Amino acid sequence: MNTSSTMRQPLPKKPFNPTPVWLSAWFAVMWLIVVDLDLSFETLWYGGEDIAEYFSRYGTPDFSDLSRYVALLGQTLATALWGSALAFFVAVLLSPLAAHNLAPNAFVYRCAREALNFMRAMPDLLLALIFVAALGLGPLPGVLALGLHTAGFLGKFFSESMERVDPGVYEAIAATGASRLQVVMYAAWPSIQREALGYTLYIFDRNVRMASVLGLVGAGGIGLALHDTLRMFNYDESAALIIVILSTILIIDYLSTWLRGKLN
Amino acid sequence: MSQIIIRGVAKRYANGFEALKDVSVDIEAGSFTVILGPSGAGKSTLLRTLNGLEMPSAGSVHIDGEQLTLRSLRNVRAHVGMVFQHFNLVDRLSVMTNVLTGRLSHRSWLGSLLYLFQRSDMEIAQDALSRVGLTDKAWNRADRLSGGQQQRVGIARALAQQPRVILADEPVASLDPVTSEEIMGLLREICTRDGITVVVNLHQVELAKRYADRIIGLNAGHVVYDGPASGLDRATLARIYSRNGDEADESIQTLLAYA
Amino acid sequence: MNPSRLCWPTPDGWPARLPSIALLAGVVLLAVTASTVELDLFRLFGALPRMLEFSANLLVLPDWAYLPTLAANMLQTLEMTFLATSIALLISLPLGLLAAANASPHPLVFHVTRNLLTLMRALPELVWALVFVSAVGLGPLPGIMALSFVTVGFMGKFFAESIEVIDHRQVEGVAAHGAGWLQLRTFAFLPQAFPDLVGTVMYILDHNLRAAAILGLVGAGGIGYDLVMAMRMFDYDRLLPIALSIYVVVTVLDRISDRFRRRLI
Repeated sequence: MNTSSTMRQPLPKKPFNPTPVWLSAWFAVMWLIVVDLDLSFETLWYGGEDIAEYFSRYGTPDFSDLSRYVALLGQTLATALWGSALAFFVAVLLSPLAAHNLAPNAFVYRCAREALNFMRAMPDLLLALIFVAALGLGPLPGVLALGLHTAGFLGKFFSESMERVDPGVYEAIAATGASRLQVVMYAAWPSIQREALGYTLYIFDRNVRMASVLGLVGAGGIGLALHDTLRMFNYDESAALIIVILSTILIIDYLSTWLRGKLN
Repeated sequence: MSQIIIRGVAKRYANGFEALKDVSVDIEAGSFTVILGPSGAGKSTLLRTLNGLEMPSAGSVHIDGEQLTLRSLRNVRAHVGMVFQHFNLVDRLSVMTNVLTGRLSHRSWLGSLLYLFQRSDMEIAQDALSRVGLTDKAWNRADRLSGGQQQRVGIARALAQQPRVILADEPVASLDPVTSEEIMGLLREICTRDGITVVVNLHQVELAKRYADRIIGLNAGHVVYDGPASGLDRATLARIYSRNGDEADESIQTLLAYA
Repeated sequence: MNPSRLCWPTPDGWPARLPSIALLAGVVLLAVTASTVELDLFRLFGALPRMLEFSANLLVLPDWAYLPTLAANMLQTLEMTFLATSIALLISLPLGLLAAANASPHPLVFHVTRNLLTLMRALPELVWALVFVSAVGLGPLPGIMALSFVTVGFMGKFFAESIEVIDHRQVEGVAAHGAGWLQLRTFAFLPQAFPDLVGTVMYILDHNLRAAAILGLVGAGGIGYDLVMAMRMFDYDRLLPIALSIYVVVTVLDRISDRFRRRLI
């Protein structure tokens, strides 16, 4: 085999590649979880036929109650709209305080940040449960829950956008003797208006999705109807409801994507 | 009494860097002063202490007899216009609105929430715009303008404050030579015609010599020259641009050749 | 001309057309829908005492005996989150490639996968959880199924978008050496999109934890079931620990993922 006269140069020692270790650790943890949760994916596999049969029950949607669905849908959309408006309002008030370059002092900054974090951390359905307990059934607790939860998101997005604005712009407005509020109004908001509108549309989009399940905890909208029909094994009506919800969400999704595209 | 009185001003940053060490300067009303010095000499810091964008760690700054403190900050700033190297306009606002931001210290918080201005403010802004020759661009968005035009808007914004002092921090450093001449000429003309005190940071010695009444040379946070532009000989320049006290390096030689 | 002393900084002194029309439309829409959401200030303020009473009720010593169960259920929630996100990750990687305009084998495949992903993420997890619970029974399995299903819809889309913005010169570099179709995708597309992908996974992990915490509402496993039960039974000594534990776990994960993403960028 010594056809070539040159010696093959030995490669330097291969650096240790940790990827296989991480991958096997990952799969090991997944397997442990499957064992711990006592999941039997085999039943899922062998029960495939049963499941297929189950889903075939949704094959004949029954739209006889459509007018009620549309009314419920209107309530769902209104809940999402008001929830988003509330979130926007709260976020507009809080976000300049939660941007470190606009907050009056470190204490206010920390408080605003923590308030936003708290709102984000509380799931909206949990908030809805609490508000239903306080206000009674209906869409209003849903509005408050969506509003508070997504205000946390919007506030975070807004304040992070404000922190990315060129500090010179803030300086220039402040150097004219403008107050802090004026710096926010004339330097911060105009600089981030496009981003802010995009985020708000995105949040509305998300809120439509969530508003359609708020009914599960009694906070109005189309979710309760779906819950009831499924509980009564009324698959035809469930299918109709799912189709109504699905098409609305898709329409809103496309509309907001289109609008956000236009903004950029 | 001089209009701007700087007494024993020192500035030490949080990282320990001493940008200014015991600077005392008086600036007369209606004069055109240029601050020269190598990068890092404290030119920018000195200018920025004049309207409280930096607060001195020691010493005091008085403008028109009023001491600059956190309390008096907005009052003092209302009469001190500032022009920046990177213009610092609000990109998405119209040229007119950018100029009108110079009137903000006279507007109430409620009006500012609604973006409302007084008619008289509009007239002042309009005059400022015609002064810099940009009346026809009033409704354009600020980021659609060229660099020189944006700097003119920056000057109009300062003029709209109806200031007694205009501070300009490297106003021509991002501009080409022709535009630089225009901007410096505009500042000089504002000083001569309106009697507004102008203080400019420059790194072009040649521009400084032609436009300034008085030159302040800064090196490593100390004033090393304070006198008329005509007194700026080679030895003085070497002192201003020297590094580590004495030795003038090569780039200074080229710089001196131009001076 | 606007005759008053005050005016807006526009050529005619009135606010700019398009924004003011949009603003007006928004306000009108809100006013019209106010009755639909049963907005009633009296009710809102009337509920304040009840809200205070409710908050006061929350301030009781926790039910110590329940805490081990709480920890177990919280662990189950975390496990569901991790497993569902992992399954979704395995499925979305290939789907993301198919749904990226520059990596997809055929425009038809691209459009079909894109729309499939849109459909998958359209309905919230909770709706799918409802459906899967009635299909396979109570427990964490339907929850994991619902969570992975919707997550694939989001993750596949985010993956496709990060693959679409990669630098094409590198792809050409690899292609010039005669790499095959699949090699091109694994050695040129994925490594470039990797930091973005990790960021997406962290973001989705965050979102899924919140979602998993409420899936129990419909019997799909996790802490949510205890939460609803405590709420319905007025077990205030359990309610606060549950809510607090959700808050703490979500916040900790949020901080970790924030730090992780910042390090990547």
